Amino acid sequence: MNLSHKAVPEPIEGSQKNVGHAFDSLCCEHLYLHLSNQIILKDVSFSLPEKGITSLIGPSGAGKSSLLRCITGLNETWQGDIKLNQQRLRQWHGGVDALRKHIGLISQKPSVFPVSIAENVIFGLSRKQRKQNQSRWIQHCLEKAALWDEVKHRLNMPAASLSLGQQQRLCLARALALKPSMLLLDEPTASLDPRSKELIEASLRQLAESMPLLCVTHDLQQTQRLQGQVIFMCDGKIIETGSCGDFFEHPERIETREFLQWSVCDCGD
Amino acid sequence: MRHFLNPLKIFVALGCLSAVLSVLVLLGFLIQSSLPFWQAFGIQVLWGDAWYPYESLFGFLPAIVGTVWALLIAMIIALPCGLAAAIVSSEMMSETWRDLVRVGMEILAGIPSVVYGLIGLWVLLPFLQHSLDLLTGHNLLAAGMILSLMILPTIMVMSQDALQAISQEQRESAMSLGLDWQQRLFRVLLPQAWPGIRSGILLALGRALGETMAVMLVVGSMDRLPEPFYNILEPAQTLTSRIGREMGEASFGSLHFSALMGCGLILAVMAMGLSLLAQRRSLIR
Repeated sequence: MNLSHKAVPEPIEGSQKNVGHAFDSLCCEHLYLHLSNQIILKDVSFSLPEKGITSLIGPSGAGKSSLLRCITGLNETWQGDIKLNQQRLRQWHGGVDALRKHIGLISQKPSVFPVSIAENVIFGLSRKQRKQNQSRWIQHCLEKAALWDEVKHRLNMPAASLSLGQQQRLCLARALALKPSMLLLDEPTASLDPRSKELIEASLRQLAESMPLLCVTHDLQQTQRLQGQVIFMCDGKIIETGSCGDFFEHPERIETREFLQWSVCDCGD
Repeated sequence: MRHFLNPLKIFVALGCLSAVLSVLVLLGFLIQSSLPFWQAFGIQVLWGDAWYPYESLFGFLPAIVGTVWALLIAMIIALPCGLAAAIVSSEMMSETWRDLVRVGMEILAGIPSVVYGLIGLWVLLPFLQHSLDLLTGHNLLAAGMILSLMILPTIMVMSQDALQAISQEQRESAMSLGLDWQQRLFRVLLPQAWPGIRSGILLALGRALGETMAVMLVVGSMDRLPEPFYNILEPAQTLTSRIGREMGEASFGSLHFSALMGCGLILAVMAMGLSLLAQRRSLIR
Protein backbone atom coordinates (compact mmCIF):
# COMPACT_ATOMS: atom_id res chain seq x y z
CA MET A 1 0.00 0.00 0.00
CA ASN A 2 1.27 3.40 -0.82
CA LEU A 3 -0.13 6.06 1.42
CA SER A 4 2.97 8.18 1.10
CA HIS A 5 1.71 10.18 -1.87
CA LYS A 6 2.48 13.84 -1.28
CA ALA A 7 -1.21 14.82 -1.09
CA VAL A 8 -1.92 12.17 1.51
CA PRO A 9 -1.10 12.86 5.16
CA GLU A 10 1.00 10.43 7.17
CA PRO A 11 0.47 9.45 10.78
CA ILE A 12 2.99 11.46 12.78
CA GLU A 13 6.13 9.37 13.34
CA GLY A 14 4.88 6.80 10.77
CA SER A 15 3.10 3.76 12.07
CA GLN A 16 5.35 1.16 10.46
CA LYS A 17 8.00 0.61 7.85
CA ASN A 18 6.63 -0.02 4.41
CA VAL A 19 7.35 -3.52 3.25
CA GLY A 20 5.65 -3.21 -0.11
CA HIS A 21 7.08 -5.13 -3.07
CA ALA A 22 5.85 -5.50 -6.61
CA PHE A 23 5.04 -9.18 -6.13
CA ASP A 24 2.04 -11.20 -5.20
CA SER A 25 1.10 -9.63 -1.89
CA LEU A 26 -0.22 -12.75 -0.16
CA CYS A 27 0.66 -16.29 -1.03
CA CYS A 28 -0.77 -19.36 0.74
CA GLU A 29 0.74 -22.74 -0.08
CA HIS A 30 -0.59 -26.11 0.99
CA LEU A 31 -2.40 -24.75 3.99
CA TYR A 32 -3.97 -27.25 6.39
CA LEU A 33 -5.91 -26.53 9.55
CA HIS A 34 -7.18 -29.06 12.08
CA LEU A 35 -9.43 -28.00 14.92
CA SER A 36 -10.86 -30.44 17.48
CA ASN A 37 -9.97 -33.46 15.31
CA GLN A 38 -11.75 -31.91 12.35
CA ILE A 39 -10.05 -30.88 9.15
CA ILE A 40 -11.07 -27.29 8.52
CA LEU A 41 -8.69 -26.43 5.66
CA LYS A 42 -7.28 -28.98 3.22
CA ASP A 43 -4.35 -28.13 0.99
CA VAL A 44 -5.43 -24.54 0.39
CA SER A 45 -3.14 -22.73 -2.05
CA PHE A 46 -3.74 -19.37 -3.66
CA SER A 47 -2.12 -16.01 -4.12
CA LEU A 48 -3.49 -12.50 -4.21
CA PRO A 49 -2.36 -9.89 -6.72
CA GLU A 50 -0.62 -6.72 -5.59
CA LYS A 51 -3.92 -4.85 -5.58
CA GLY A 52 -7.57 -5.44 -6.28
CA ILE A 53 -10.46 -7.21 -4.64
CA THR A 54 -10.65 -10.96 -4.31
CA SER A 55 -13.98 -12.34 -3.10
CA LEU A 56 -13.89 -15.53 -1.10
CA ILE A 57 -17.22 -17.30 -1.44
CA GLY A 58 -18.64 -20.64 -0.51
CA PRO A 59 -21.27 -22.28 1.64
CA SER A 60 -21.27 -21.94 5.44
CA GLY A 61 -18.62 -24.14 7.06
CA ALA A 62 -16.41 -24.07 3.97
CA GLY A 63 -13.50 -22.66 5.98
CA LYS A 64 -13.54 -19.10 4.66
CA SER A 65 -13.42 -17.33 8.03
CA SER A 66 -10.93 -19.89 9.35
CA LEU A 67 -8.66 -19.05 6.44
CA LEU A 68 -8.77 -15.36 7.38
CA ARG A 69 -8.05 -16.21 11.01
CA CYS A 70 -4.99 -18.22 9.92
CA ILE A 71 -3.67 -15.32 7.86
CA THR A 72 -4.08 -12.82 10.70
CA GLY A 73 -2.58 -15.17 13.25
CA LEU A 74 -5.78 -15.41 15.30
CA ASN A 75 -5.45 -19.10 14.67
CA GLU A 76 -1.84 -20.24 14.83
CA THR A 77 -2.19 -23.99 14.56
CA TRP A 78 -2.17 -24.14 10.77
CA GLN A 79 0.38 -26.07 8.75
CA GLY A 80 1.79 -25.07 5.40
CA ASP A 81 3.22 -21.78 4.28
CA ILE A 82 1.79 -18.27 4.15
CA LYS A 83 3.87 -15.40 2.80
CA LEU A 84 3.07 -11.72 2.85
CA ASN A 85 5.20 -9.71 0.43
CA GLN A 86 7.59 -12.66 0.11
CA GLN A 87 8.06 -12.88 3.87
CA ARG A 88 6.95 -15.97 5.77
CA LEU A 89 4.35 -15.16 8.43
CA ARG A 90 5.86 -17.72 10.82
CA GLN A 91 9.17 -15.86 10.69
CA TRP A 92 7.75 -12.34 10.72
CA HIS A 93 10.12 -9.88 12.31
CA GLY A 94 8.61 -8.73 15.59
CA GLY A 95 6.24 -11.68 15.90
CA VAL A 96 2.55 -12.03 15.32
CA ASP A 97 1.61 -8.69 16.93
CA ALA A 98 3.86 -6.84 14.49
CA LEU A 99 2.42 -8.90 11.62
CA ARG A 100 -1.15 -7.96 12.52
CA LYS A 101 -0.33 -4.29 12.04
CA HIS A 102 0.31 -5.13 8.37
CA ILE A 103 -2.95 -7.00 7.88
CA GLY A 104 -6.14 -5.09 8.51
CA LEU A 105 -9.02 -7.29 9.58
CA ILE A 106 -12.66 -6.22 9.47
CA SER A 107 -15.07 -8.63 11.13
CA GLN A 108 -18.69 -9.29 10.37
CA LYS A 109 -19.87 -7.64 13.57
CA PRO A 110 -18.39 -4.18 14.12
CA SER A 111 -16.58 -3.96 17.42
CA VAL A 112 -15.70 -0.44 18.47
CA PHE A 113 -13.88 0.35 21.70
CA PRO A 114 -15.71 2.35 24.40
CA VAL A 115 -13.77 5.54 23.66
CA SER A 116 -14.42 8.46 21.35
CA ILE A 117 -14.66 8.19 17.57
CA ALA A 118 -11.29 9.92 17.10
CA GLU A 119 -9.60 7.72 19.71
CA ASN A 120 -11.00 4.64 18.03
CA VAL A 121 -9.36 5.59 14.73
CA ILE A 122 -5.90 5.85 16.28
CA PHE A 123 -6.40 3.03 18.79
CA GLY A 124 -3.81 0.81 17.13
CA LEU A 125 -1.07 3.46 16.99
CA SER A 126 1.72 3.56 19.56
CA ARG A 127 1.35 5.64 22.70
CA LYS A 128 3.85 8.19 21.38
CA GLN A 129 1.89 8.58 18.16
CA ARG A 130 -1.42 8.86 19.97
CA LYS A 131 -0.09 11.64 22.18
CA GLN A 132 0.72 13.74 19.12
CA ASN A 133 -1.81 15.66 17.10
CA GLN A 134 -3.13 13.15 14.59
CA SER A 135 -6.15 15.17 13.47
CA ARG A 136 -5.14 15.19 9.77
CA TRP A 137 -4.46 11.46 9.82
CA ILE A 138 -7.79 10.80 11.56
CA GLN A 139 -9.55 12.87 8.92
CA HIS A 140 -7.74 11.05 6.11
CA CYS A 141 -8.64 7.59 7.46
CA LEU A 142 -12.27 8.56 8.06
CA GLU A 143 -12.47 9.98 4.54
CA LYS A 144 -11.09 6.74 3.14
CA ALA A 145 -13.78 4.87 5.03
CA ALA A 146 -16.48 7.27 3.78
CA LEU A 147 -17.34 8.35 7.31
CA TRP A 148 -15.77 11.78 7.67
CA ASP A 149 -18.76 13.83 6.51
CA GLU A 150 -21.02 12.11 9.01
CA VAL A 151 -18.79 12.42 12.07
CA LYS A 152 -16.58 15.46 11.52
CA HIS A 153 -18.52 17.54 14.05
CA ARG A 154 -18.66 14.86 16.72
CA LEU A 155 -15.24 13.25 16.78
CA ASN A 156 -15.21 13.34 20.57
CA MET A 157 -18.52 11.55 20.94
CA PRO A 158 -18.48 7.90 22.07
CA ALA A 159 -18.07 5.51 19.17
CA ALA A 160 -20.96 3.45 20.50
CA SER A 161 -23.31 6.33 19.63
CA LEU A 162 -22.83 5.57 15.91
CA SER A 163 -25.15 3.35 13.92
CA LEU A 164 -24.05 -0.18 13.07
CA GLY A 165 -23.13 0.80 9.52
CA GLN A 166 -21.12 3.79 10.78
CA GLN A 167 -19.39 1.59 13.36
CA GLN A 168 -18.35 -0.81 10.62
CA ARG A 169 -16.87 2.08 8.63
CA LEU A 170 -15.15 3.25 11.79
CA CYS A 171 -13.58 -0.20 12.10
CA LEU A 172 -12.40 0.18 8.52
CA ALA A 173 -10.89 3.58 9.31
CA ARG A 174 -9.23 2.10 12.41
CA ALA A 175 -7.65 -0.64 10.35
CA LEU A 176 -6.52 1.86 7.69
CA ALA A 177 -4.87 4.06 10.33
CA LEU A 178 -2.16 1.42 10.68
CA LYS A 179 -1.31 1.64 6.95
CA PRO A 180 -1.81 -2.09 6.42
CA SER A 181 -0.30 -3.93 3.46
CA MET A 182 -3.61 -5.65 2.84
CA LEU A 183 -7.17 -5.86 4.13
CA LEU A 184 -9.11 -8.96 5.07
CA LEU A 185 -12.86 -8.56 5.37
CA ASP A 186 -15.13 -11.18 6.90
CA GLU A 187 -18.63 -10.50 5.61
CA PRO A 188 -18.24 -6.79 6.31
CA THR A 189 -21.74 -5.82 5.20
CA ALA A 190 -23.67 -8.89 6.37
CA SER A 191 -25.82 -7.10 8.93
CA LEU A 192 -25.96 -3.65 7.40
CA ASP A 193 -28.65 -1.65 5.64
CA PRO A 194 -28.39 -1.09 1.85
CA ARG A 195 -27.11 2.47 2.23
CA SER A 196 -24.25 1.44 4.55
CA LYS A 197 -23.53 -1.51 2.28
CA GLU A 198 -23.24 0.80 -0.70
CA LEU A 199 -20.92 3.19 1.14
CA ILE A 200 -18.65 0.40 2.31
CA GLU A 201 -18.51 -1.16 -1.14
CA ALA A 202 -17.57 2.22 -2.62
CA SER A 203 -14.75 2.54 -0.04
CA LEU A 204 -13.54 -0.96 -0.79
CA ARG A 205 -13.45 -0.33 -4.52
CA GLN A 206 -11.40 2.79 -3.91
CA LEU A 207 -9.04 1.03 -1.50
CA ALA A 208 -8.59 -1.86 -3.92
CA GLU A 209 -6.84 0.53 -6.30
CA SER A 210 -3.89 0.66 -3.95
CA MET A 211 -3.87 -2.60 -1.96
CA PRO A 212 -5.11 -6.18 -2.07
CA LEU A 213 -8.43 -6.95 -0.41
CA LEU A 214 -9.68 -10.42 0.45
CA CYS A 215 -13.38 -10.28 1.16
CA VAL A 216 -15.41 -13.19 2.51
CA THR A 217 -19.02 -12.84 1.45
CA HIS A 218 -22.22 -14.83 1.05
CA ASP A 219 -23.73 -12.14 -1.11
CA LEU A 220 -23.11 -13.12 -4.75
CA GLN A 221 -24.61 -9.86 -5.97
CA GLN A 222 -22.05 -8.04 -3.91
CA THR A 223 -19.30 -10.20 -5.44
CA GLN A 224 -20.49 -9.17 -8.87
CA ARG A 225 -20.65 -5.53 -7.85
CA LEU A 226 -17.15 -5.62 -6.44
CA GLN A 227 -15.77 -7.41 -9.53
CA GLY A 228 -12.14 -8.53 -9.20
CA GLN A 229 -11.15 -12.15 -8.61
CA VAL A 230 -13.25 -14.90 -7.04
CA ILE A 231 -12.14 -17.88 -4.96
CA PHE A 232 -14.79 -20.53 -4.35
CA MET A 233 -14.29 -22.78 -1.32
CA CYS A 234 -16.21 -25.84 -0.24
CA ASP A 235 -15.47 -28.35 2.54
CA GLY A 236 -12.16 -26.68 3.40
CA LYS A 237 -10.83 -26.85 -0.16
CA ILE A 238 -10.49 -24.34 -2.93
CA ILE A 239 -12.71 -25.60 -5.72
CA GLU A 240 -12.36 -22.91 -8.32
CA THR A 241 -10.74 -19.54 -8.84
CA GLY A 242 -11.06 -17.03 -11.61
CA SER A 243 -12.14 -13.59 -12.62
CA CYS A 244 -15.61 -12.50 -11.57
CA GLY A 245 -17.02 -12.57 -15.11
CA ASP A 246 -15.69 -16.05 -15.92
CA PHE A 247 -16.74 -17.44 -12.57
CA PHE A 248 -20.37 -16.46 -12.90
CA GLU A 249 -20.74 -16.99 -16.62
CA HIS A 250 -18.59 -20.06 -17.28
CA PRO A 251 -18.07 -22.00 -14.05
CA GLU A 252 -15.88 -25.03 -14.72
CA ARG A 253 -16.58 -27.31 -11.78
CA ILE A 254 -19.83 -29.03 -11.03
CA GLU A 255 -19.68 -27.95 -7.35
CA THR A 256 -19.48 -24.33 -8.44
CA ARG A 257 -22.41 -24.69 -10.79
CA GLU A 258 -24.48 -26.32 -8.04
CA PHE A 259 -23.53 -23.60 -5.54
CA LEU A 260 -24.42 -20.84 -7.97
CA GLN A 261 -27.67 -22.57 -8.83
CA TRP A 262 -28.67 -22.90 -5.18
CA SER A 263 -27.60 -19.36 -4.41
CA VAL A 264 -29.67 -18.04 -7.31
CA CYS A 265 -32.64 -20.06 -5.99
CA ASP A 266 -32.06 -18.56 -2.53
CA CYS A 267 -31.98 -15.07 -3.99
CA GLY A 268 -35.16 -15.84 -5.91
CA ASP A 269 -36.87 -16.97 -2.72
CA MET B 1 -56.40 0.95 37.73
CA ARG B 2 -55.89 -2.66 36.66
CA HIS B 3 -52.29 -1.69 35.87
CA PHE B 4 -51.63 -0.88 39.54
CA LEU B 5 -53.47 -3.88 40.94
CA ASN B 6 -51.32 -6.42 39.14
CA PRO B 7 -50.36 -8.92 41.92
CA LEU B 8 -46.82 -9.33 40.62
CA LYS B 9 -46.26 -5.58 40.65
CA ILE B 10 -47.69 -5.32 44.17
CA PHE B 11 -45.37 -8.11 45.28
CA VAL B 12 -42.32 -6.44 43.71
CA ALA B 13 -43.30 -3.05 45.16
CA LEU B 14 -43.68 -4.57 48.64
CA GLY B 15 -40.26 -6.24 48.26
CA CYS B 16 -38.64 -2.93 47.35
CA LEU B 17 -40.42 -1.15 50.16
CA SER B 18 -39.35 -3.75 52.71
CA ALA B 19 -35.70 -3.44 51.58
CA VAL B 20 -35.77 0.33 52.06
CA LEU B 21 -37.70 0.01 55.31
CA SER B 22 -35.27 -2.52 56.80
CA VAL B 23 -32.35 -0.15 56.17
CA LEU B 24 -34.27 2.68 57.80
CA VAL B 25 -35.34 0.47 60.72
CA LEU B 26 -31.75 -0.71 61.22
CA LEU B 27 -30.42 2.84 61.21
CA GLY B 28 -33.26 4.02 63.42
CA PHE B 29 -32.60 1.24 65.91
CA LEU B 30 -28.87 2.02 66.08
CA ILE B 31 -29.52 5.75 66.48
CA GLN B 32 -32.19 5.20 69.09
CA SER B 33 -30.15 2.75 71.15
CA SER B 34 -26.98 4.87 71.02
CA LEU B 35 -28.82 8.17 71.58
CA PRO B 36 -28.25 8.27 75.38
CA PHE B 37 -24.52 7.99 74.77
CA TRP B 38 -24.44 10.74 72.11
CA GLN B 39 -26.57 12.98 74.33
CA ALA B 40 -24.23 12.46 77.27
CA PHE B 41 -20.88 12.83 75.50
CA GLY B 42 -21.50 14.48 72.10
CA ILE B 43 -19.62 13.72 68.93
CA GLN B 44 -16.26 14.77 70.35
CA VAL B 45 -15.85 11.15 71.48
CA LEU B 46 -15.09 10.38 67.81
CA TRP B 47 -11.62 11.86 68.27
CA GLY B 48 -11.10 10.86 71.91
CA ASP B 49 -8.22 8.44 72.36
CA ALA B 50 -9.00 6.82 75.72
CA TRP B 51 -11.51 4.01 76.16
CA TYR B 52 -12.14 3.13 79.81
CA PRO B 53 -15.88 2.35 80.07
CA TYR B 54 -15.79 1.89 83.84
CA GLU B 55 -14.39 5.41 84.22
CA SER B 56 -16.88 6.76 81.67
CA LEU B 57 -14.13 7.50 79.16
CA PHE B 58 -15.26 6.66 75.64
CA GLY B 59 -12.77 7.58 72.92
CA PHE B 60 -13.54 6.08 69.53
CA LEU B 61 -10.39 7.14 67.68
CA PRO B 62 -8.16 4.08 68.43
CA ALA B 63 -10.82 1.69 67.15
CA ILE B 64 -11.58 3.84 64.09
CA VAL B 65 -7.86 4.13 63.27
CA GLY B 66 -7.42 0.39 63.85
CA THR B 67 -10.35 -0.38 61.54
CA VAL B 68 -8.98 1.87 58.80
CA TRP B 69 -5.47 0.37 59.13
CA ALA B 70 -6.78 -3.19 59.00
CA LEU B 71 -8.82 -2.35 55.89
CA LEU B 72 -5.87 -0.64 54.26
CA ILE B 73 -3.46 -3.51 54.92
CA ALA B 74 -6.03 -6.03 53.71
CA MET B 75 -6.59 -4.10 50.49
CA ILE B 76 -2.86 -3.56 49.87
CA ILE B 77 -2.35 -7.33 50.01
CA ALA B 78 -5.61 -8.62 48.52
CA LEU B 79 -6.13 -6.18 45.65
CA PRO B 80 -2.98 -6.93 43.61
CA CYS B 81 -3.16 -10.66 44.45
CA GLY B 82 -6.87 -10.94 43.61
CA LEU B 83 -6.56 -8.91 40.44
CA ALA B 84 -3.50 -10.84 39.28
CA ALA B 85 -5.24 -14.15 40.01
CA ALA B 86 -8.30 -12.99 38.07
CA ILE B 87 -6.21 -11.89 35.08
CA VAL B 88 -4.14 -15.08 35.01
CA SER B 89 -7.13 -17.39 35.41
CA SER B 90 -9.33 -15.46 32.99
CA GLU B 91 -6.81 -14.72 30.25
CA MET B 92 -4.15 -17.41 30.43
CA MET B 93 -5.69 -20.58 31.78
CA SER B 94 -7.75 -23.16 29.97
CA GLU B 95 -11.40 -23.40 30.89
CA THR B 96 -10.78 -26.49 33.05
CA TRP B 97 -8.09 -24.81 35.13
CA ARG B 98 -10.12 -21.62 35.33
CA ASP B 99 -13.08 -23.54 36.76
CA LEU B 100 -10.81 -25.32 39.23
CA VAL B 101 -9.35 -22.04 40.50
CA ARG B 102 -12.84 -20.60 40.76
CA VAL B 103 -14.10 -23.56 42.78
CA GLY B 104 -11.08 -23.14 45.08
CA MET B 105 -11.87 -19.46 45.55
CA GLU B 106 -15.53 -20.16 46.23
CA ILE B 107 -14.56 -22.71 48.88
CA LEU B 108 -12.20 -20.14 50.40
CA ALA B 109 -15.08 -17.64 50.49
CA GLY B 110 -17.35 -20.14 52.22
CA ILE B 111 -15.02 -21.02 55.11
CA PRO B 112 -16.38 -19.62 58.42
CA SER B 113 -14.47 -16.62 59.64
CA VAL B 114 -13.66 -18.21 62.98
CA VAL B 115 -11.60 -20.81 61.10
CA TYR B 116 -9.55 -18.01 59.59
CA GLY B 117 -9.15 -16.59 63.06
CA LEU B 118 -7.91 -19.92 64.40
CA ILE B 119 -5.46 -20.30 61.50
CA GLY B 120 -4.26 -16.80 62.26
CA LEU B 121 -3.93 -17.60 65.94
CA TRP B 122 -1.97 -20.81 65.48
CA VAL B 123 0.02 -20.14 62.31
CA LEU B 124 0.24 -16.44 61.51
CA LEU B 125 0.80 -14.98 64.99
CA PRO B 126 3.76 -17.24 65.93
CA PHE B 127 5.21 -16.69 62.47
CA LEU B 128 5.00 -12.88 62.78
CA GLN B 129 6.28 -12.95 66.35
CA HIS B 130 9.38 -14.97 65.47
CA SER B 131 10.16 -13.57 62.07
CA LEU B 132 9.77 -9.91 63.12
CA ASP B 133 11.12 -10.47 66.64
CA LEU B 134 8.03 -9.05 68.38
CA LEU B 135 6.76 -9.43 71.94
CA THR B 136 3.47 -10.67 70.55
CA GLY B 137 2.15 -11.53 67.12
CA HIS B 138 -1.20 -9.89 67.88
CA ASN B 139 -1.20 -6.70 65.86
CA LEU B 140 -2.79 -4.75 63.01
CA LEU B 141 -0.57 -6.45 60.44
CA ALA B 142 -1.93 -9.86 61.46
CA ALA B 143 -5.51 -8.54 61.34
CA GLY B 144 -4.91 -7.05 57.89
CA MET B 145 -3.30 -10.25 56.62
CA ILE B 146 -6.14 -12.44 57.83
CA LEU B 147 -8.68 -10.03 56.38
CA SER B 148 -6.83 -10.02 53.06
CA LEU B 149 -7.17 -13.79 52.85
CA MET B 150 -10.87 -13.49 53.58
CA ILE B 151 -11.61 -10.83 50.96
CA LEU B 152 -9.31 -12.27 48.29
CA PRO B 153 -12.02 -14.57 46.82
CA THR B 154 -14.51 -11.70 46.50
CA ILE B 155 -12.04 -9.53 44.59
CA MET B 156 -10.81 -12.42 42.48
CA VAL B 157 -14.20 -13.90 41.55
CA MET B 158 -15.82 -10.56 40.76
CA SER B 159 -12.81 -9.38 38.74
CA GLN B 160 -12.78 -12.68 36.86
CA ASP B 161 -16.49 -12.29 36.07
CA ALA B 162 -15.90 -8.74 34.86
CA LEU B 163 -13.01 -9.82 32.61
CA GLN B 164 -14.94 -12.79 31.25
CA ALA B 165 -17.86 -10.53 30.37
CA ILE B 166 -15.75 -8.70 27.78
CA SER B 167 -16.74 -9.98 24.37
CA GLN B 168 -14.46 -12.09 22.22
CA GLU B 169 -15.00 -9.54 19.43
CA GLN B 170 -13.38 -6.83 21.56
CA ARG B 171 -10.40 -9.06 22.31
CA GLU B 172 -9.98 -10.04 18.67
CA SER B 173 -10.38 -6.44 17.51
CA ALA B 174 -7.54 -5.46 19.81
CA MET B 175 -5.46 -8.39 18.62
CA SER B 176 -6.09 -7.60 14.98
CA LEU B 177 -4.76 -4.09 15.58
CA GLY B 178 -1.46 -5.63 16.62
CA LEU B 179 -1.74 -4.69 20.29
CA ASP B 180 0.49 -6.88 22.39
CA TRP B 181 -0.66 -8.69 25.53
CA GLN B 182 0.12 -5.81 27.89
CA GLN B 183 -1.55 -3.24 25.68
CA ARG B 184 -4.65 -5.39 25.38
CA LEU B 185 -4.73 -5.77 29.14
CA PHE B 186 -4.27 -2.13 30.05
CA ARG B 187 -6.12 -0.50 27.14
CA VAL B 188 -9.00 -2.88 26.49
CA LEU B 189 -9.57 -5.44 29.23
CA LEU B 190 -9.00 -3.57 32.49
CA PRO B 191 -10.78 -0.33 31.48
CA GLN B 192 -13.83 -2.28 30.35
CA ALA B 193 -13.79 -4.59 33.36
CA TRP B 194 -13.25 -1.74 35.83
CA PRO B 195 -16.89 -1.23 36.90
CA GLY B 196 -17.06 -4.93 37.90
CA ILE B 197 -13.65 -4.84 39.55
CA ARG B 198 -14.63 -1.71 41.48
CA SER B 199 -17.79 -3.38 42.71
CA GLY B 200 -15.70 -6.36 43.83
CA ILE B 201 -13.32 -4.09 45.71
CA LEU B 202 -16.14 -2.29 47.49
CA LEU B 203 -17.94 -5.51 48.38
CA ALA B 204 -14.67 -6.86 49.73
CA LEU B 205 -14.17 -3.68 51.74
CA GLY B 206 -17.66 -4.09 53.13
CA ARG B 207 -16.91 -7.63 54.19
CA ALA B 208 -13.58 -6.63 55.74
CA LEU B 209 -15.24 -3.76 57.57
CA GLY B 210 -17.85 -5.99 59.19
CA GLU B 211 -15.60 -8.91 59.98
CA THR B 212 -15.49 -9.56 63.74
CA MET B 213 -14.45 -13.01 64.81
CA ALA B 214 -11.21 -13.51 62.89
CA VAL B 215 -10.04 -9.96 63.60
CA MET B 216 -10.93 -10.24 67.29
CA LEU B 217 -8.73 -13.31 67.63
CA VAL B 218 -5.60 -11.76 66.14
CA VAL B 219 -5.72 -7.97 66.57
CA GLY B 220 -4.77 -7.88 70.26
CA SER B 221 -7.74 -5.72 71.41
CA MET B 222 -5.59 -2.95 72.85
CA ASP B 223 -7.43 0.38 73.03
CA ARG B 224 -4.69 2.78 72.14
CA LEU B 225 -3.50 4.66 69.10
CA PRO B 226 -0.50 3.14 67.30
CA GLU B 227 2.71 5.05 68.08
CA PRO B 228 3.87 6.34 65.69
CA PHE B 229 0.62 6.29 63.75
CA TYR B 230 2.09 3.96 61.09
CA ASN B 231 3.22 1.36 63.60
CA ILE B 232 1.18 -1.65 62.56
CA LEU B 233 3.20 -4.09 64.65
CA GLU B 234 1.49 -3.22 67.94
CA PRO B 235 -1.70 -4.73 69.37
CA ALA B 236 -4.66 -2.56 68.49
CA GLN B 237 -8.44 -2.51 68.37
CA THR B 238 -11.06 -2.33 65.64
CA LEU B 239 -14.70 -1.30 65.95
CA THR B 240 -15.94 -4.85 65.35
CA SER B 241 -13.50 -6.48 67.75
CA ARG B 242 -14.48 -3.99 70.44
CA ILE B 243 -18.17 -4.74 70.01
CA GLY B 244 -17.50 -8.49 69.91
CA ARG B 245 -15.34 -8.47 73.00
CA GLU B 246 -17.29 -6.05 75.22
CA MET B 247 -20.94 -6.54 74.36
CA GLY B 248 -21.19 -9.53 76.72
CA GLU B 249 -19.86 -7.44 79.61
CA ALA B 250 -22.03 -4.34 79.07
CA SER B 251 -25.29 -4.29 80.97
CA PHE B 252 -28.35 -3.58 78.83
CA GLY B 253 -29.31 0.09 78.81
CA SER B 254 -26.04 1.31 80.35
CA LEU B 255 -23.85 4.02 78.81
CA HIS B 256 -21.31 1.34 77.94
CA PHE B 257 -24.02 -0.51 76.01
CA SER B 258 -25.03 2.72 74.25
CA ALA B 259 -21.41 3.44 73.39
CA LEU B 260 -21.06 0.01 71.79
CA MET B 261 -24.25 0.65 69.81
CA GLY B 262 -22.57 3.92 68.76
CA CYS B 263 -19.65 1.82 67.43
CA GLY B 264 -22.23 -0.19 65.47
CA LEU B 265 -23.72 3.02 64.10
CA ILE B 266 -20.30 4.21 62.90
CA LEU B 267 -19.73 0.83 61.23
CA ALA B 268 -23.12 0.96 59.56
CA VAL B 269 -22.48 4.48 58.28
CA MET B 270 -19.06 3.43 56.93
CA ALA B 271 -20.57 0.37 55.22
CA MET B 272 -23.36 2.46 53.71
CA GLY B 273 -20.81 5.00 52.53
CA LEU B 274 -18.93 2.22 50.72
CA SER B 275 -22.13 0.89 49.26
CA LEU B 276 -23.13 4.32 48.01
CA LEU B 277 -19.66 4.73 46.53
CA ALA B 278 -20.18 1.47 44.64
CA GLN B 279 -23.50 2.72 43.31
CA ARG B 280 -22.30 6.25 42.69
CA ARG B 281 -22.24 5.96 38.92
CA SER B 282 -25.71 4.50 38.64
CA LEU B 283 -27.10 7.05 41.09
CA ILE B 284 -25.68 9.88 39.01
CA ARG B 285 -27.29 8.34 35.91
